[in-house]
Amino acid sequence: MGVAIRDILADFKSTVEWGSLAGVAAVDAHNALYQFLSIIRQPDGTPLMDREGRVTSHLSGLFFRTVNFIEKGIRPVYIFDGPPPAFKTATLEQRRETRRAAGEKWQEALKKGDLEEAYKQARSSSRVDEAVIESAKSLLALMGIPAVDAPTEGEAQAAFMAIRGDVSYPVSQDYDSLLFGAPVLVRNLTVSGKRKFRNRTLTIRPERIVLKDVLEGLEISREQLVEIGILIGTDFNEGIRGVGPRTALKLVQQDAFDATVAEKMAGFNPGLVREFFLHPPVTGRYDLAWASPDEEGILELLCEGYDFSPERVTGSLEKIMKTSGQKTLDRWF
Amino acid sequence: MLKADIDADIFRETIDVISALVPECRLHVGESGIRTRAVDTANVAMVSIELSADAFNSFVATEAELGIDIAKMKNILGMMGKGDVLKMELPDEGHKLELAFGGYKYSVTLLDVNTIRKDPNPPTINLPGKAVLSGASLNNAVKAAAVISDKIALGIDPDAGIFYMEAEGDTDHIRLDLGGDDLISLEAAQARSLFSLDYLKDMGKVMSRAEKVEVHLGIDHPVKFSFAIAEGNGQVEYLLAPRIEAD
Repeated sequence: MGVAIRDILADFKSTVEWGSLAGVAAVDAHNALYQFLSIIRQPDGTPLMDREGRVTSHLSGLFFRTVNFIEKGIRPVYIFDGPPPAFKTATLEQRRETRRAAGEKWQEALKKGDLEEAYKQARSSSRVDEAVIESAKSLLALMGIPAVDAPTEGEAQAAFMAIRGDVSYPVSQDYDSLLFGAPVLVRNLTVSGKRKFRNRTLTIRPERIVLKDVLEGLEISREQLVEIGILIGTDFNEGIRGVGPRTALKLVQQDAFDATVAEKMAGFNPGLVREFFLHPPVTGRYDLAWASPDEEGILELLCEGYDFSPERVTGSLEKIMKTSGQKTLDRWF
Repeated sequence: MLKADIDADIFRETIDVISALVPECRLHVGESGIRTRAVDTANVAMVSIELSADAFNSFVATEAELGIDIAKMKNILGMMGKGDVLKMELPDEGHKLELAFGGYKYSVTLLDVNTIRKDPNPPTINLPGKAVLSGASLNNAVKAAAVISDKIALGIDPDAGIFYMEAEGDTDHIRLDLGGDDLISLEAAQARSLFSLDYLKDMGKVMSRAEKVEVHLGIDHPVKFSFAIAEGNGQVEYLLAPRIEAD
């Protein structure tokens, strides 16, 4: 998901220390919640659940990651997707079908006792639904963390807020924010610093990508970066089969975008998608105010509501209560 | 473009003012001098500083925004001796700032300004009370409170005509009342707010050199300190958000 331009960005990624990331981070909420739902699972693919069988993987991930942010001096604001633009429907249909199929394959694999396959399919069946979003928002409100509802794409909104200087950087595993014009993008802000990849555990570090470096390094404009996205495929259009980021980069550098679209993408008008990336719907009406966490409210929601271990929750809360009691200047700006 | 000469001590003082709060900043350079406004990462304190061209021995500049690694700059300036003259030079579109003093010539790579938080807008705060006192006595009071606590209340009692500081430790208490001749002047209005000494200690150290510091206060509002640097050719404002007073 998101635009697959990773191959041409490798030279422009720099690993950064947590210490240098202090500031305001606009976190792609959908991206984070999806990550939690797909990763926080038992070996057979079963997600974390409470007594009633409600999935709680995302709450666990959200709570502990947010606590980690606060401890590291990062003040997060979570950006939630609004209704998708009409032309995204095809992608969404496809994803729904993939998830449905994965759900079936997961059950089949379980019957066969193939745990590896079960885990894999279970991950693909993860779904950020209304209940996930609502419970995540309730938790954030209790933690005193602001949430912003984007008019459409969260990454577009995050990029806009970064351009305005209201946030220091967007956080997402996807690269779309760069196409939306975010000056900087930060990836890999996980608690453990570990990720399972094909049964190997990799150590991962936060990494930063600066848009200006990418554009200067590849000698392209942001418009051309968007064109590369369009050629290989974005969430809003199907790309050309066989054209990857390197080929697309060459085509765009040779000014062959229009000709290629005309030849290989018959009937497709790139204008709509291009316009969407360059001038996406965003809102300037948001209130970035961080409040002290409501300790009792959080314990009630997580421990009484969703059967979290009170020891773990209290332990983490203590870490962030230390810094509370201090007001910020936000309310006076 | 920037080409300027400045007394080492004056520039060091300027950098110290900024480094009390932030490790990096966007420095705006223009015909009339240099300025920056930056908020610390926790959004608790803000520094804004203006240094006019008159603070320099010579100063020629066109509009530019420089990404300055304040922590690194402070270390470099630490190498300079008293009375040294610092020569700064940045060509048009340049990314390296030349710093020359006492035979040394540093070429310092500037930070990409896009990776530094934008300057905040000037906040709108109405602070009715104002006490003016020497930076040294302000800093002493902060140090005295820090012995027993990590927070301090600053206030004005208009009936008694005093500016006071009060700190409460786990077991101990300290209070200092300043009135009459202890102060340079007082605009009495009911005021009291609680502040973190972690921040005030760093700010106090910088302010201790100022002959007079204006302390603007309100009720449960930020405190604003304003004072001059560079023999009156520079102006600084610190703003610090209050803590929540415990019951």
